[in-house]
Amino acid sequence: MDPILWNDWHVVADATALQCDRPITTRLLGVPLTVSRDAQGAVHVVGTDGSPIVSDVRHGFVWACLGKPARPILSIAELAEPDRCVTTAGSFGVHVSAGRVIENFLDLGHLGHVHAGYLGQEPQTAVEPYEVARLPDGGVHASGCKVFQPVSSPTAQSGFVVEYQYKVERALTASLYKSSFSQPDRFDVIYLFAQPLDEEHAIAHVLEIFIDDGVSPAALRAFQQFIFLQDKPILENQIPKRLPIGQRMEMPVLADKTSVAYRRWLAELGVTYGTVGAHDGGLPA
Amino acid sequence: MTVREGWHPIAASDDLPAGHIYAAQLCDVPLAVWRGQDGTVNVWEDRCPHRGVRFTIGSIHGDELRCQYHAWRFRSGSGACSAIPAHPTRKPSSAIRATLFPGVERDGLVWTKLAGDQDAPPQLDYAGAVLRAIAVNCTAQAIEIAIARAPLPGVRLFVQPVSFARAVIRGLAEDVSRLAEHDAALERLRRGLERAAA
Repeated sequence: MDPILWNDWHVVADATALQCDRPITTRLLGVPLTVSRDAQGAVHVVGTDGSPIVSDVRHGFVWACLGKPARPILSIAELAEPDRCVTTAGSFGVHVSAGRVIENFLDLGHLGHVHAGYLGQEPQTAVEPYEVARLPDGGVHASGCKVFQPVSSPTAQSGFVVEYQYKVERALTASLYKSSFSQPDRFDVIYLFAQPLDEEHAIAHVLEIFIDDGVSPAALRAFQQFIFLQDKPILENQIPKRLPIGQRMEMPVLADKTSVAYRRWLAELGVTYGTVGAHDGGLPA
Repeated sequence: MTVREGWHPIAASDDLPAGHIYAAQLCDVPLAVWRGQDGTVNVWEDRCPHRGVRFTIGSIHGDELRCQYHAWRFRSGSGACSAIPAHPTRKPSSAIRATLFPGVERDGLVWTKLAGDQDAPPQLDYAGAVLRAIAVNCTAQAIEIAIARAPLPGVRLFVQPVSFARAVIRGLAEDVSRLAEHDAALERLRRGLERAAA
């Protein structure tokens, strides 16, 4: 198992949905887990033999690490801002690798087609040049992306040119910063934590940290669910289900700069789980 | 499964009305089969070269197939990418194209091959009515042995290997008035083969 994934923290449940005496079963990197909340409110994660798994509750989610945590759970600066509406916005099961889920989240080119009428529209489908750089601690930072969005969020009253930034801070965690409709000089923030159930199944856990302009958590959840359910049939029809990270397996164009940087970074990190690359001789037949 | 050389029927001509993309599979290779405006039969790997999305969830616009993910368009015949809406003013690289397999329509069946150097599908000695395709959960070889051992009179049968343990029987009937009778015989054959494979 790739150490980078084995020793990382992964979201395994939405803590806000975890009820006392209603344990849930899930998997992480193929390992079956049970997540439960006891009468005192404490959360426990155990393996099939009842042995405890390293776990924590943070940012509204239950986190687990199967190995030895190499780094703390990532911190999110915007959570400290007092005028934010913060909600877990859904945990979506998808029959595809976690890497494909992250890459779709980073993808600008599909917005005007898959999310037509909301996050983009024809004929404004051109993806203008944007910047991609490395984050100081490794990872990918895309900035200066501009997209016309007819309905960018549940509270948007009209279309406008939204500025986007992306960060990929961990192998299977990505975040999106998009101009807020009510305060265009500030960003609404969406975190996507992709839980790898196995190499070809994932759960996409979403955390939303929006400028509080009267938007309700219920409206944020409903909007996110609507958007994600447009992505799901696309993701589940990708072949192969694992993310190709080797050279020349798929054909990127300039608009795919973020995806190219993400795949390259995963290859550098030595991620083989849930990916197809030079490590297994290319695409399966 | 191992790719089999030579021509196999993968669809009936009637499976390809204008505007439809038919999903087929041969030896584990998923195929998108569709007809261009001039009647050309396109047999493409069912996978957009950009991000691997199945072409069969896309749509047909005139003489082009549009991928459902990023609306890239691919031309009938050549499989070349003709438009990338993310870069509307640039001409797509000629390296971006669908993976093509030969498509030949003959006697109401659509044939393709993944490998091998045979020029054309078998020439039949009669043009008959196309039988209903019968999918069977067993190996292609088991079907071939069964129909060689006990040939059905009045039909020409062909086997489409789908995956290791699944295949489709396709064929032609000499006499259109006997289609129901042949269909019932093939159903009996299917049940027998699946019992034997279970």
